Amino acid sequence: MKKFYLASAAALAISATGALADGHVEHVFPVGEGAFNWDSYTAYADAFDLSGQELTITGPWTGADAELVNSVIDYFESATGATVQYSGSDNFEQDIVIATQAGSAPNIAVFPQPGLMTDLAARGALTPLSAETADWIRANYAAGDSWVSLGTAAGADGEEGLYGFFYKVDLKSLVWYSPEAFEEAGYDVPETMEELLALNDQIVADGETPWCIGLGSGGATGWPATDWVEDLMLRTQSPDVYDAWVSNEMPFNSPEVVNAIETFGTFARNGDYVNGGVEAVASTDFRESPLGLFTFPAECYMHRQASFIPTFFPEDADSDFFYFPAYESEDLGSPVLGAGTLFGITQDSDAAQAFMAFLQTEISHEIWMAQSGFLTPHTGVNSELFASDTLRQMNDILLGATTFRFDASDLMPSEIGQGIFWSGMVDYVGGEDAASVAGRIQDRWAEIQ
Amino acid sequence: MPPILQGIITIIIGVGGCVGYFYAANLFLDKVLFPARGPNAGRNINRANIVRPWVFLFPAVFALGLYLVYPVVGSFIRSMYDRSGDEFVGAGNYIRLFNNPDFRQAFLNNILWALVVPAVTTFMGLLIAQLTDRLKWGNIAKSIIFMPMAISFVGASLIWKFVYAQDPDLGIINAIRASFGGEALDPLQIPFWNNFLLMVILIWIQTGFSMVILSAALRGVPEETIEAAIIDGANPFQVFFKIKVPQIIGTIVVVWTTITILVLKVFDIVYTMTGGNYGTEILPSFMMDFMFRDDGQATAVAFVIMLVVLPVMIWNIVQARKEMR
Repeated sequence: MKKFYLASAAALAISATGALADGHVEHVFPVGEGAFNWDSYTAYADAFDLSGQELTITGPWTGADAELVNSVIDYFESATGATVQYSGSDNFEQDIVIATQAGSAPNIAVFPQPGLMTDLAARGALTPLSAETADWIRANYAAGDSWVSLGTAAGADGEEGLYGFFYKVDLKSLVWYSPEAFEEAGYDVPETMEELLALNDQIVADGETPWCIGLGSGGATGWPATDWVEDLMLRTQSPDVYDAWVSNEMPFNSPEVVNAIETFGTFARNGDYVNGGVEAVASTDFRESPLGLFTFPAECYMHRQASFIPTFFPEDADSDFFYFPAYESEDLGSPVLGAGTLFGITQDSDAAQAFMAFLQTEISHEIWMAQSGFLTPHTGVNSELFASDTLRQMNDILLGATTFRFDASDLMPSEIGQGIFWSGMVDYVGGEDAASVAGRIQDRWAEIQ
Repeated sequence: MPPILQGIITIIIGVGGCVGYFYAANLFLDKVLFPARGPNAGRNINRANIVRPWVFLFPAVFALGLYLVYPVVGSFIRSMYDRSGDEFVGAGNYIRLFNNPDFRQAFLNNILWALVVPAVTTFMGLLIAQLTDRLKWGNIAKSIIFMPMAISFVGASLIWKFVYAQDPDLGIINAIRASFGGEALDPLQIPFWNNFLLMVILIWIQTGFSMVILSAALRGVPEETIEAAIIDGANPFQVFFKIKVPQIIGTIVVVWTTITILVLKVFDIVYTMTGGNYGTEILPSFMMDFMFRDDGQATAVAFVIMLVVLPVMIWNIVQARKEMR
C-alpha cells in the first residue's frame, strides 16, 4: 500500500513539473480558441516556471469582481504552476495598512488608488518595480507617461521610483440608462449639460424621477459623491484649477470647489430628482442604486457611475451609457474623469515579480476584457475581444478625451480623499452647508501639512 | 486544513496547553525543585507553598504585562508625538482633539452610550429575571432572550439593518409607518435619536447576559428573609425592592460595570450601521479614522477612552473588595 502511495506521489510530481499543467485549472476561455493573443500566453508560459511556489494577493475586489480577477489569475497559475491565493476585502484600505505594519503583508496588493500606494511607499512597505517596467508602460500604454507618473512615488529613502502598475482602468464620466425606458418615454440622449438639465425637468414634469444616486459603501460611504464633485469641477473649471485643488495649492473651501459641491447638490439634494428622496441618497448602497433603472415601471432614468458598474446590473439588463456631458456655455472641451487600480509588490518574491510580468502580457488584459467591466490603456490588445460594444465605446472615450484627469480623491492624502471628503459629502447630502463642509475638510488638510 | 479542523486543534492546544502548564509546573515544583523527601522535607514543603502562587500567576501576569501594561505605556508615549512619530508635541494631540468638533460629538455620544446601555440592559435583565422566575415556561422565555448573545456584533447589526431599512417591504419601522399612511424615512438619519437606535442593538445582545447572571443571584436570596417580609405584610414590590435587590446589589454592580466596559469597546455596530455618519460617531470609530494615518491622534483617542474607563474600573475593584470582606 505504501508503495502505491509513493508511486502515485512520484507520478504527480512528474506531471506537475510539466510546463503546462492545463488540466488542473478551469479556464474561462479554453487556451488556443478564439481571437485571443494566445502567443503571449505560451511565450510567457515557456519563460516562467514557478512550480510549487505560492503567491498571495489581496485587493479591493469582492463578489463578482473577485470571480473575474480569479479567472485571470487561473491563466497565471496554469502558465507557471504557481498557486495563487487572492482575497478581497471591502475594507481593503484599512486592511492593507494594518497588514504591512504587522509584517503580514501579502506578496502583491491591488491598490484602488495611488494615494494609498504613495503613503505605503513612503513608509518603505513597497518594493519598487524595475526601470524596464516603466519603459514598457511608456511604450505600450496609451498616454503611457501619465500612467508612469501616477504610479511613481517617493520611497522611504526619498528616492522616486515606480511602485504601482496600472491594470484595469475605470472611466468615471458616464451616465447609465436603459435604452428601452428612454424610448418608451420618448427621451433623447443629452449632448450637453444644458440639455441634460432640461431633461431633468422634463422627466420631473412627466411625474417621474430622473436620477438614482446611492452613496452607501460600508466604511467607505460617500465616495460616489466625490466622483460627482470631481466631474463637475472638470465641467466648471479649467484643468489647472482642478490640479491646484488636488495638490491643495487652491484651498478646499475656495469658491470654485464650493460651487462644484453645490452643483452636485442641485441634483442630489433635490427630492424631485432622486429616487427615494434625499434621505435615500446617503443610505442606498452604490451597488443596489442602479437597479432602479431596470425595474418596470422605471424608478429612475439615469445613474452617473464609473465603467465598472454593469458588473452589478441584473443579468438580463439592457443598459447603455452616454458621456456625462459638459456645459456648452463653459467651453471646456470634453473632460474625462478616470481611475484605475495599481498592482504593487508588498512582499517581494520570484512569483510576485513573475506576476508583474504576467500583467504585461496581452492575454492577461484580454481575458477580463472579454467578460465585463474592464478597460485598459494597453494598445496591443485586440479590441474586438471586448465583451460588448459598450465597453469598446468606453475605451474609445478613454483614449480620445480632450482632458483626462485622474480621480482627485484618489490622489489626495488618504486622510482627506479616503476619509473626511467621503464623510463630508454624506454630511452635505444630509443638509449641512457646502461651505462649512468644505471648510472642515480644508482644516483637516491644513493639519496634515 | 479545513477551518473546522483548525478550530478544533486550536481549542485542544489552547485548553490542553493551559492544563498541561499548571500540571507540569506543579509536578516540577513538588518533585524536582523542592521534593518533599530527604533531610529538608519540611522546609521544602514550606518553600514550595511560597513559590506555588507565583508559578500559577505567572502566565496571567506575563500576558497582562506584555499585552496591556506595555501597550498602555507605549501608546501614551506615542500620543505625545506628531503624526509620523518624529517630533515631540507634548499635549498637542490632546489639545487638537478637544478643539475638534467631531471629537466632542463622539465623546458626548460615547458618554450617552455608557449611561444608557448599561442602565437599560441591567434593568431589563433584572426585570426579566424576576418575571420569569416563577413561570412554568420561564426557561423557554429565558432561552429565547439569551439567544442574541451568540450573535456577533456585525451579524446583529446586519439583522437590525433590515429592521431599520427605509424600504417599507423590508423595514419594520417603515412598514408600520406605511400602514398608517406615513412617508418612508431612514431612521438612522434622524439626528440625535439615531444613537439610541444603535444602542438598541447592543441592549438586545446583552440583555440575555445580564438576565442569566441576575437570575442566578435572585435564586441565591435566602427564602427565610422573603418569608419573614411577607409575614410582616410586605407587598410584592416591597419584597422585590427592599428585600431582594439590596441582597444582590453586588451582582448588579458587577453586571453594570461589565457592560459599561463592553460599551466603551464597541465600534463594530456603529461602523456597520452608519459608518459613523449622521452624527453617530463614537470614540472607537473616531479613532479608526486616524489609525495608521495619524497615529499621534489615534493613540491620543485611545488614551482618552482608557481614562473614561478608569473610574468605572476602580469603582468595580473597590466594590469587589467590599464583597470579599
